Amino acid sequence: MSPSWLTVFPDNIRSLLSALPPSVFGGLEEIRIREGRPLEINAGGRFCYLTSEGGMTLDAAKAFMPSKQECNRLLDLITNHSLYTMEEELRKGFITIEGGHRIGLAGRTVLGGGKVEHLRDISGYNVRLAREIKGLANTLLPQILDFKHKSVLHTLILSPPQQGKTTLIRDLARQISSGTWRHPEARWPGMKVGIIDERSEIAGSKRGVPSFDVGPRTDVMDGCPKAEGMMMMIRSMSPDVLIVDEIGRSEDVDALAEALHAGVRVIATAHGSNVDDLSSRPAMSRLLECSFFQMYAVLKRTDQGMAFRLWDDKRRRVQLPDGPAREAKGREVNA
Amino acid sequence: MGLLEKRRAGKLMLKILGAVMVIAAAALAGWIRSREYARRPNQIRRTILALRRLETEIMYGFTPLPDALLRIGEQSGEPIQFILSEAAKWMNSPHHRTAQESLQKAVQSGWKYTAMKNAEKDVLHQLSFTLGTSDRKDQLGHIATAVRQLESEEEIAREEQNRYEKMYKSLGVLCGAFIVILFY
Repeated sequence: MSPSWLTVFPDNIRSLLSALPPSVFGGLEEIRIREGRPLEINAGGRFCYLTSEGGMTLDAAKAFMPSKQECNRLLDLITNHSLYTMEEELRKGFITIEGGHRIGLAGRTVLGGGKVEHLRDISGYNVRLAREIKGLANTLLPQILDFKHKSVLHTLILSPPQQGKTTLIRDLARQISSGTWRHPEARWPGMKVGIIDERSEIAGSKRGVPSFDVGPRTDVMDGCPKAEGMMMMIRSMSPDVLIVDEIGRSEDVDALAEALHAGVRVIATAHGSNVDDLSSRPAMSRLLECSFFQMYAVLKRTDQGMAFRLWDDKRRRVQLPDGPAREAKGREVNA
Repeated sequence: MGLLEKRRAGKLMLKILGAVMVIAAAALAGWIRSREYARRPNQIRRTILALRRLETEIMYGFTPLPDALLRIGEQSGEPIQFILSEAAKWMNSPHHRTAQESLQKAVQSGWKYTAMKNAEKDVLHQLSFTLGTSDRKDQLGHIATAVRQLESEEEIAREEQNRYEKMYKSLGVLCGAFIVILFY
């Protein structure tokens, strides 16, 4: 059966995509459609253009170029024929479709009072396919357990973009919420998890309901600014663990401090390739100073899967039981 | 003598029966024609009402177009319902046609059940190009234009109804009578 996201494409692009070899098709990450320019796909960290015969090429001149008509059709299909229901999404620059896949949009902005009010003449589409990999957090989770408090440690996950941060914290949320701690001595039940999903990436919510399995005891605040969302969650939903993606601004840090005092555990992600990077960013260096996080994990994507290294709150390397870096592999779930 | 009388009476009866049938047929034809004149403004009115509901669904309900069309169709009655639900059907899975194609297809296939004319068809055809493809303000503008056009068509249709509805009814009966007189 073809995956659900394929139905948003116009017929000819759909047939080009479904004619791809299964190894490429299975590893698709992004499909980029630009009006009048080559159709590009990204799979497994590499990119190529598609020819109109369905072949793959790196020569832009030979590539298939989607026309204005096809782009309009794509827009019509991803908005469910109702662009007028997507005004908020257009302001943010992306639309989430069924299955939690996100489609980034580029076009001409219409300003109102200096702020983006609307996006029109949309000519660039970036279909980012969301992957749900259950079990991706199996190796990280036992390292961030807090046995004394029967909880998890405050953890900051660092990695450059496109390395699987979001996929990892989605699985963390699921496992913490369902209480599968992956450790023989961890025998406490699942905890209440609150996800602040500013860009609808973690849970892929559609109409407020998560598309992905984020666990039975998980609440999702969808499309909410992180700092505000964290406060709202703490006040209204009494979470045990808060999960936020891509913190970095100073108000995020304030909200994190608030969460700490409220006794809520926090797992957050940020862009960066090592812990020392953080000290050069004003807001994040404050985090380091008050040693808010008890554990730092730096991700790296390898050919086999995902590897991570750990640092503790004093920024000492934590040696993992078997070797410096362990591969985290999971079973991919087809959305 | 009695036999001849009876035969004559029988012939007369047949003639009268024939005359009645001719007049009835002509009157029916006239009536059907006049009913078309009565149905057209009525259907235009209902189309206008449907568009106004669509306006509300878009402006205040943020309802996606296929759902809105289905819901409005249920309230509009045939033959408008057929066109709207047909359009929604083409938009939804598994067809996944664009809003423009869906509405045009629906109008094409459902128009024969309506009493409306080409002018109204053109209005819906024009609307299909913009429906669902812009923000709310823009959508409202386009729908309002369509409604205005339909209203002017409705006026014309009402005038025609006043002028022709009765005329066709009496014309039918008169035609029948004329044919009967000719044959006598």
